[in-house]
Amino acid sequence: MKSLSPALASLANVFKIPMSMAPVRPSIARTCHETLNRQTQQPGPVTAALQSAPFSTTNAMAARKGKGPVVDKRITLIRYFLHHPLTPRPLRFSRNRYLRHWTIHRAWQLFRAQQRRKHELELMRQYQSMQEACEELRTGAGDGGKLFRVSMNKKGIFTDMFPIEYARMQTDSPPSDGWNYDWKKPGQK
Amino acid sequence: MAHCELASKPLLQCLRNTYSRGVAGVQLQTRAFQSTASVREAEAETPSQPFHKAPDPSLVTSPRLERRLLRQGTTPIGSRRRRAALQNSDNIPFEQLPYQCFQEARKILLADREEKLKEIETMRQRLARQEALSVEEAGGAKAKKSRVTAMQLHLEHLKILADINDPLVKRKFEDNEGDMSKPIYRFLADRKWREYRRKILVQRITQMKVIPDVLPHCDPIVETKLYFGKRQVQAGEFVEAKLSTDAPKLDVQMFEGGEKLVTIAVVDPDVPNVENDNFDYKTHFLAVNVPISATSTKVDLAQLLEDSQVVLPWLPPVAQKGSPYHRLSLFIMEQKDSQPLDFAAVKAKETNRDTTLLRTLQSRYRLKAIGAHLFRTQWDDTTLEVMKQIGFDGANVELRRKRVEPLPYKRRNPSSFR
Repeated sequence: MKSLSPALASLANVFKIPMSMAPVRPSIARTCHETLNRQTQQPGPVTAALQSAPFSTTNAMAARKGKGPVVDKRITLIRYFLHHPLTPRPLRFSRNRYLRHWTIHRAWQLFRAQQRRKHELELMRQYQSMQEACEELRTGAGDGGKLFRVSMNKKGIFTDMFPIEYARMQTDSPPSDGWNYDWKKPGQK
Repeated sequence: MAHCELASKPLLQCLRNTYSRGVAGVQLQTRAFQSTASVREAEAETPSQPFHKAPDPSLVTSPRLERRLLRQGTTPIGSRRRRAALQNSDNIPFEQLPYQCFQEARKILLADREEKLKEIETMRQRLARQEALSVEEAGGAKAKKSRVTAMQLHLEHLKILADINDPLVKRKFEDNEGDMSKPIYRFLADRKWREYRRKILVQRITQMKVIPDVLPHCDPIVETKLYFGKRQVQAGEFVEAKLSTDAPKLDVQMFEGGEKLVTIAVVDPDVPNVENDNFDYKTHFLAVNVPISATSTKVDLAQLLEDSQVVLPWLPPVAQKGSPYHRLSLFIMEQKDSQPLDFAAVKAKETNRDTTLLRTLQSRYRLKAIGAHLFRTQWDDTTLEVMKQIGFDGANVELRRKRVEPLPYKRRNPSSFR
């Protein structure tokens, strides 16, 4: 006997389903494999051509030939797992409950939108105040903007710490080619 | 199981006999919660009458009382299971249901609504100030007009935003109890229509080639339903000749505020012309100056005024035997600036049904198509009768397709098949 998960076992206990009789759903991979491998009939050339279409379920030509309907196994499988008793039922709400759900959802979306808006405004405010400070430095410091020009200079950034060429995206694992000990900065030497 | 039922029957009967008292008690307890006057209020004020004398259609569960109610002409509301559940519920109004998350959500939504109302108020004031400005102050008539229009659009948008998160508005709209004079319900109805019905309509009128045949272009913005008698006709449906002898009724739903004057025309572009071997147009109906608005939607084509609206009265459509089906296309056309047309002049000018083209009318009277509908008619069992009734000449003629000799390379030639 297959062992059930504790939740299913307790459910089976509640609903008085004997454990041996409890429907055990076979694993998807095994069922798919079995069903797809079972060859019921050898399709003729026409049906084979029709079935070779990626997801066509129409079988007009097959009906005309009078060979009976061609069963698409993928659909059979979808139906099997969709209507299996162990598949959880779809989420259904009563009307009031749905409306409450909807209200909460709308309020959450509204709240998120307000937060986003606030954040954007804050960023904008910060940027503008920084810009104002720079402008003040440029015009108000009385040195003809020298201080501003110097402060805007990007020289020396990244060169005195580690080579910027070594900056890469943060990843979970080290690079596949390891550390290159022979690497020299192109400008040096 | 049967034993169980037998045993529980007296118990159930007891419960049924006591529920009226129970409900009244609960009513008194929950009175403090209720903010709006409900239907139950009246019942609670007259507790002297016992329940079995005047059963409440929303609470009755016993089959005997239900039958009595039915005989009196009132149908019990909802299912019996629902009514039984309502008997011992305490009937808290929806917005006061004691769920914490729900109440928090409502607080957020209400705060947002307050903010939107404030915005609407300031927008109104700004709009009034803008309109009060003279043309020179506003910097030209064009600039003023564009600014005022933009403000009005924004105001309408804000009005919708203020109400769109209200669950009660949603519920009312889903129950079709929405008040179409309010912008939010018009917005919701428009969105619903555009999701499916309008797509179908546009597909039908383009696939059946009404759009290039009768009018070059049409962008429907009003929903049109067509009824022959009591029967609603879907766009493009075949209608029996006998059914369409009387003028149809229309249900024209506008989704904007205000009133519009429209011209309604029914045109058949498929009248076979045997001499020239092609098809002619025929105008089956033409009426001008028909008022429609979001709240008054019904237009009965037979009830329009003869002396100020109907230019060409209804002519029953018939298709001769053997002719391809006729597309009877109905167009609702907005008159420019909702100004009434001069009825006498139109009546004097448009007298001939065969030479009146809708394209001509459109440019002559500056009309704009805002709604369309379509039905088809073909030869059926009742057509002959209708033809006799309206004195159609050519009722005894059956049209035949001309045999076209295939071109040589298209002939069935078995030798070239191989």
